[in-house]
Amino acid sequence: MASPALWQRCIAASALASTSRNVTRTFTTTTAVAMARQRPGASKPTVARVPGLDHPGTLHNLSEIHPLLDHYPRKTDQDGSLNLETPKLWASAPPLDNMLKNQADDDVDEASLPHGLTKDDLKKFLKRALVVKRTSNMTTAGKIPSMYALVVVGNGEGIAGYGEGKDDEVARAVRKATNRAMRNLTAFDRYDDRTIYHDIDHKFHATNIQFRSRPPGFGNRCNHYIHEICSCIGILDISAKVWGSRNPMNVIKATFEALSLKQKLPEDIARGRGKRVVDVQHTYYGANE
Amino acid sequence: MPRHYDLCARVQNGFAARLRRIAVPDTKMNLAISNVLYKEGFIAGVSRGDHVQPDSEYVVTTPDNIATRRLWLELKYNNDEPVLKKMSAVSKPSKKIVMKVEELQNLAAGNRAQFIKGLQPGEIAILTTNYGVLELRDALEKGAGGELLCRAI
Repeated sequence: MASPALWQRCIAASALASTSRNVTRTFTTTTAVAMARQRPGASKPTVARVPGLDHPGTLHNLSEIHPLLDHYPRKTDQDGSLNLETPKLWASAPPLDNMLKNQADDDVDEASLPHGLTKDDLKKFLKRALVVKRTSNMTTAGKIPSMYALVVVGNGEGIAGYGEGKDDEVARAVRKATNRAMRNLTAFDRYDDRTIYHDIDHKFHATNIQFRSRPPGFGNRCNHYIHEICSCIGILDISAKVWGSRNPMNVIKATFEALSLKQKLPEDIARGRGKRVVDVQHTYYGANE
Repeated sequence: MPRHYDLCARVQNGFAARLRRIAVPDTKMNLAISNVLYKEGFIAGVSRGDHVQPDSEYVVTTPDNIATRRLWLELKYNNDEPVLKKMSAVSKPSKKIVMKVEELQNLAAGNRAQFIKGLQPGEIAILTTNYGVLELRDALEKGAGGELLCRAI
C-alpha cells in the first residue's frame, strides 16, 4: 500500500494534471499513465506541464523528493535526511497577547506524574480550591485585577499536591492551579495509613504550626485549611495548632512542607542507630490484623 | 566543673557541623552520659585522649597531664543526615527536675509530666538515679526515679 505522504503527492500531481480537463477523480501514477496512453486521439501522454521541467514523455518519480512539488519546508528526520514521511512545517503567526493570557495551562501529561499514576487516576482525585481571591496589579494605567486560586488535590491514599494559578476569570485560574497541583504531587508517609508518625513543629515565614499524632478515632481537629489538606492526603487522626500568622496561603504551604519534609520513620531512625525496631501495637496487640 | 548542658551543647553542635569526632571535658558525669549515648547508638565510640587526639595506648591521668585530658566521642551519620539531631538539658540549675516512677512512665508513653513533654518515637531521656546514670526505660526496668538530666533525639 502506498504511504499517506505518497498518496498526497499523487493527489497533488493528479490535480495538476486535471487543471485543463474536467477530471476531478484521484488516481495512482500507473493509472494516470495508463489513462493518458489510452486517451483517444492523443499522440503523447498527458502529463503535468511544469515550467522548466517540462520534458515530453517524462513523468516525475513521485517517490522521490521533487524540488518544485515538495518545496514547502519539512522538518529533517532524526539522522538529518529529508524524506516523504517527514511532516511539513508551516510558519505560524505569533499568538496575540490576549490569546496567550487567556490560555489555561496545558493539561497534565503522564510523564510529569509520579510513578504508577495515570491520567485516569487523576479523575478520581479530590480537588479543593481552598483560596480564591481577587488581586490587583497597580500600574500607570490603573488597577489591573486578576483572580488568584490555590487548589489542593489528593487521592486520599497518601498522594497530594497544591498549585497556584492566576487569570482574569476564576474558572480558568482554578483550572491552571489544578493542573499545576497535579504536576506537584508528592507522597506523604502515614503511620497506619491514618496519622503522622510523631509530633511535628514547623515554621514557615510567619506561620508556626504544631502537629500532634493522635490515636484512631480521634479525627482531624485542626485549622480548616489543614483539615482539607488532611482529607486530601488521607490523614484521619491529627491535632494541630497554628501559632502566629494564619494567612491561608502560608498555612497551606507550611502544612505541605512540614508533612513531607519533617517526618522521620522509625525504620530509618533504627537503621541510623544500629537497632532493631518493632511496632508494639502491631506485633503484641495485633492491630490491623 | 562543666555541667551536663555543656555536653549537650558540644554534642549537638558537633553533629550540626558534621564533625567526625569531638573532644569534651573528661569528667565522670560526661563519661556516664556518653556511655548511655553510645549504648543507644547515637555515637560510634567513646575514648580518652588529650586535647589533640584520642590516645592510641592507655595513658594514666596524673596532675601533670590532667589539664589536657579529654573524652573523644565518634559521631555517626546515616543517609547524609546526623543520627542525633537535638540534645537538650531538662534539669537546669535554675529549675531542677526530679521525677518519680509514675511520671517517668507517663513520659515513656508520650504524655506530659511536670511541664516536660513526653518522648517522641526515637527519643531518649537520660537521668541520674541511685543505680547510676541510666536511660529512661532502663531506669523504669529497675523501678528507679531520679533527676532528668537531658533528652536526645
